[in-house]
Amino acid sequence: MPKCTINGKQIEVAEGTTVIEAFMKLEQNIAHYCWHPGLSVAGVCRMCMVKVEGNPKLQIACNTKVTEGMVASNEDAKVKEAVEWILGFHLINHPLDCPICDQAGECGLQEYYMTYGKYDPAMAEKKVKKKKVVDLGPTVVLDSERCILCDRCVRFTSEVTKTNELSIFNRGDHAEVGVYQERPLNNNYSYNVVDICPVGALTSKDFRFKQRVWYLKDFNTICNGCSTGCNVKAYYNENGFYRIKPVYNKEVNGHWMCDTGRDMYKFVNLEKRQTSAVKNVNGTSEEYSPIQATREIGVLLRKNVNEAAAVLTGQYTSEEYASFFATMKDFGIKDFYHWVNNPEKMEEFDGLLLRGDRNPNTAGLRAEAKKANINLRNAKDLDPKKHTLIIVAGPEVQAFYPDLQKSVDAWSKSQTLVWLSSCKNPVLFAAHWIVPMKSFVEKNGTFVNYKGIEQKIKKGTTIVGEALSLDEFAIAIKGERVDVEYTSPLGGLA
Amino acid sequence: MSRLPEPKVNWYLPAIFTGLGITMKKMLWNLGNRSKMQTLNYPEEKYDYSPRFKGTHILTVKKDGSLRCTACMLCATNCPADCITIIASEHPDPTVEKYPISYEIDMLRCVFCGFCEEACPVDAIRMGPEWQVAGKNGSNFIYGIQDLAYRPQLKGGIQTILDDGERSKAGI
Repeated sequence: MPKCTINGKQIEVAEGTTVIEAFMKLEQNIAHYCWHPGLSVAGVCRMCMVKVEGNPKLQIACNTKVTEGMVASNEDAKVKEAVEWILGFHLINHPLDCPICDQAGECGLQEYYMTYGKYDPAMAEKKVKKKKVVDLGPTVVLDSERCILCDRCVRFTSEVTKTNELSIFNRGDHAEVGVYQERPLNNNYSYNVVDICPVGALTSKDFRFKQRVWYLKDFNTICNGCSTGCNVKAYYNENGFYRIKPVYNKEVNGHWMCDTGRDMYKFVNLEKRQTSAVKNVNGTSEEYSPIQATREIGVLLRKNVNEAAAVLTGQYTSEEYASFFATMKDFGIKDFYHWVNNPEKMEEFDGLLLRGDRNPNTAGLRAEAKKANINLRNAKDLDPKKHTLIIVAGPEVQAFYPDLQKSVDAWSKSQTLVWLSSCKNPVLFAAHWIVPMKSFVEKNGTFVNYKGIEQKIKKGTTIVGEALSLDEFAIAIKGERVDVEYTSPLGGLA
Repeated sequence: MSRLPEPKVNWYLPAIFTGLGITMKKMLWNLGNRSKMQTLNYPEEKYDYSPRFKGTHILTVKKDGSLRCTACMLCATNCPADCITIIASEHPDPTVEKYPISYEIDMLRCVFCGFCEEACPVDAIRMGPEWQVAGKNGSNFIYGIQDLAYRPQLKGGIQTILDDGERSKAGI
């Protein structure tokens, strides 16, 4: 365990730790582009220069191991001058198109230019012009001019996804990142290269030009795309949600997340949402407020207690399940079913993060059912003719349920089918009642991932003000009072 | 809060006559020196503002007549009245890359501070000399691209001094 001094502060680190890791541990600022904690060391950007005492030349912190008694510092004037020159070299061919660039506002070059900028450029030659708007695949666009050749993206495809689509071609100032002919960047982790790109060279087709980043607010939550439960950050403003990015969690997802999870914001925006409760009788539909509808369902439920059943999907929080089970047991309902989207693929795993079980809280549902002494039966065994009332806590991400239409049609043969859904979908109109539910960004709760790790989700904002969570539904169905926050008429974002 | 002291004299008539006296003096002086009068007979006579006057906005155009604006939204960010709404889109030409498909300024919200002009990095928006704007109702004052860049007064558009195409060829 070598001890070292970083910027005058002492620290003891594990054997084999690099100087930049020691800097990070002490939360000292150090400029870097090519070094990424989730990737191997490349040492190509030369930004992380430090002065090591006893060494006549400056060293790069990312490729220097800490040794016993080492004294390193990046507060020296010599280091600052070196970094200034290095940043100057990075900017030689970098175009001045920040107004167009999507990275502006969260760009590594912009940030370090404020600290280490040589505001009087020493370069008199013309800039080398390269290709702009290069299509790398279905998700990512490349701008070769903006690239500073840190090769993070190349290392990502070779080390993390092991698909090796990206490489650096040509030499000198003609060097550029690219894909091989007819082998586009097309893997399920491709958006990560956009995240790790320190400049605006790689931009996401999904987010491109939709919104400037400084207009977005963010909050941390858990991805509800599969049972891995990646830690993510959701970005939104008053017009809706725009993107999702991964947050580092060593136990769960590391630094990355899959492209499937990046789509999870698309189901929460207002235009996709069920905003009021609907009662469908004989081809006509009537709108109700969710609370009123739930109370009427409660009256129906009291009449049909012995023939009622509840179907649950693993897309709600543990707290909601607990409250729902308690209420349903109070009513005296005995039949509970677990609806799984893809039973044969439940145990699938792509080797990195994405799991076949596309529900964030299957483990939580099973645990809560066990706690409440409830035997969850497979939804395939549900006979709609035996039950006069079926309450379905439907999936939030309906795209993961290929048998959605089939199930709605089959179960609507029962006398009353109550469907709880956050998304609006014409398929659901076969159900007799539709009650709007809150999405995962609008409620607090716990998701239990496949490993049994409990992770909290926190309410970020309100999109549909009147929508209920499953526990609010459980309270309202008893006829008790629920405090619903009423926002603008359609429940615009708060 | 301290109050002003009560006036010692409560007579108001002397003050009124002093005021009326000034008014009469000015009126008689104006009748004698009509060319030096301070007021204008608007709308027959109009005041000549300086060339730096901040009036109705102009979106400048490139040589080919297309919009100079790159939809960077710095004007909208800088706008204290929050009156600029821009929707950006991908341009078919990769050298242009980004352009606004919708650019709207709510003239009734605008305070004509000129911050948009200052924030613009590419000389795409300027404050013009026009200031007499009429409309039948509020919706006439939401100016789109057609009004801002190609209204008849501009005679086909004001050309920008900064052209990316030329800068790119010059290697900047």
